[in-house]
Amino acid sequence: MLELEDIVRTFRVADRDATILRGITLRVGKREVVSIMGGSGSGKTTFMNIVGLLDKPTSGRYRIDGQDVLTADADRLSGLRNQLIGFVFQSLFLMPRLNVWRNVALPLFYRRTPLPEAKAQALAMLERVGLAAYADYMPNQVSGGMRQRVAIARALVGRPAVLLADEPTGALDVQAGQDIMDLFMQINRDLGVLIMIITHDPNIAAQCRRQLVLRAGVLVDETHLAAA
Amino acid sequence: MLEAAGNLLAARQRSALALVGILIGAAAVIAMLNVGGIARNETIRQFRAMGTDVMTITVSSRSSNAVGLKRADVEAIPAVIPAVAEITPFVTGGGMVAFGTTSHNATFAGVAPEFDDVVRLTMQSGRFISFHDDYEAYCVLGARLASSLGGRGERPRVNAKIRVGAYIFTVIGIAAPAVQNPMLPLSVDDTMFVSLPNARRVMPGQIMGAAVGRLAPNASAEKADLALQAYLNPKLRDAYLNVQTARQLIAGMASQMHIYTLLLGAVGTLSLVLGGVGVMNIMLVSVAERKQEIGIRLAIGARRRDIRALFLSEAVILAVAGGLLGIVFGLAASWGFAWLSDWEFVLSPEAAPLGAGVSVLVGIFFGFYPAVSASRLDPIEALRAE
Repeated sequence: MLELEDIVRTFRVADRDATILRGITLRVGKREVVSIMGGSGSGKTTFMNIVGLLDKPTSGRYRIDGQDVLTADADRLSGLRNQLIGFVFQSLFLMPRLNVWRNVALPLFYRRTPLPEAKAQALAMLERVGLAAYADYMPNQVSGGMRQRVAIARALVGRPAVLLADEPTGALDVQAGQDIMDLFMQINRDLGVLIMIITHDPNIAAQCRRQLVLRAGVLVDETHLAAA
Repeated sequence: MLEAAGNLLAARQRSALALVGILIGAAAVIAMLNVGGIARNETIRQFRAMGTDVMTITVSSRSSNAVGLKRADVEAIPAVIPAVAEITPFVTGGGMVAFGTTSHNATFAGVAPEFDDVVRLTMQSGRFISFHDDYEAYCVLGARLASSLGGRGERPRVNAKIRVGAYIFTVIGIAAPAVQNPMLPLSVDDTMFVSLPNARRVMPGQIMGAAVGRLAPNASAEKADLALQAYLNPKLRDAYLNVQTARQLIAGMASQMHIYTLLLGAVGTLSLVLGGVGVMNIMLVSVAERKQEIGIRLAIGARRRDIRALFLSEAVILAVAGGLLGIVFGLAASWGFAWLSDWEFVLSPEAAPLGAGVSVLVGIFFGFYPAVSASRLDPIEALRAE
């Protein structure tokens, strides 16, 4: 599903090149649940931006669902993000002036799905994350855990192949975080979507079938270490 | 669209400020068009009463021994100059008139019996001065003069006695109220009319300085003017002639209106531009403040044109809201103008659509740069913004 080959990302900061990712090669199949751990400055966010088609690597090859995405222009990347990728961000990023179901339906709006159909799909996805009763609430009228579920519903409403979650439990207490993890696992089982979770919480990482660690721009697969 | 409106409502105060600029601009444009229409309507109304074939001659004296028009010369004009169909001379002046215990300042006009026909004067009561009245002490009162004489008590009627200096005149008629014609050197409603021979009594020493007439159908106003100058000028002494035709006056008024319209148009354009800059400013601030929102929209699949459309529609909604309010204010202003100048209010049919159209254009023009700059944001930069 995701094929990354020797990905290098270099930024120019104050006339000096800083290499954040130093040759990352990774293959992730459909239906996998992957965690990516790493300390601050390890390149987690840069890595996710590249996987999520928000950024392009300085060099290397990246194919998603068999399509080479490095030659695509900005609008084509928008289209690919819309079709293939669902994002759950660390900070919640819901539109404060749209109600819950309209927030969920937003990716469909950019896909030009007719409104009644978009609403039906948004409501179905809210049902799946257990928020059917809150469809008409505004984001600031529901709890933090619920908002994260709204964000997940929005990420999933377009039936993406990949769900990228950046610290999805970072702002939640342990119980709410665990509920979100359970939801991810259930979604993975039910929808067969590839889930990649970026976290610094070892307990969260431990629940993923595959565990990767970024250290100074290099990716290490530590699944077997954790299992041992 | 609904979203764009919601976003504007959330930033009410700033939106309102940008709105004011557009409002003033649109109001000025609307007022310009509508006041122009009202003035045009008023001109038509003034000349509808007397017709556009009216012409007047006035004589200005250069010294105290000036010699003015002579009645016989003026009455001979239609025979000499075929372009003039009819013409009648009159003398104007002014002074106090007294009725009972009240007195009032009035315009005096010494007129020939044809005067009421030429200026299409109609009577409220009684009759106008006739051929047989030349040496009778009779007078006709204008409508407003008649109603302001007599105070709270009795108003002058036909057969009432009016005193002017040492003379007593008998009222033989009261004229109906007339629309003020800009051609006439007197206001009919405020005038006391007497016969030409009597004019020497109430206005001693006044030369015969005016005549009012009508052009023949299809006659050229310019040619009539030249012919009249050639015919009358040699007969005057220490005085000069001024011929005015309604057509020339209307042309003059039209060019005056044109300047006035240009001026209001310039004010309107200027404030629309300033309002547009205000809209642009607000949209730029809004783009800077909502970078994260733009980032998330891009991340979930908004294309550049989607972002552009979002901000452009906000700018247009802002401008149109200002424009609609401007239409209301502009119409109110022109209504106020009509009311103050006692003119009839008419609604120009092109004013409202033009005002709305112009404000949409301003919104698009000044909203374009902020919208494009929003759509060009890099998604990562935008997401990282605070």
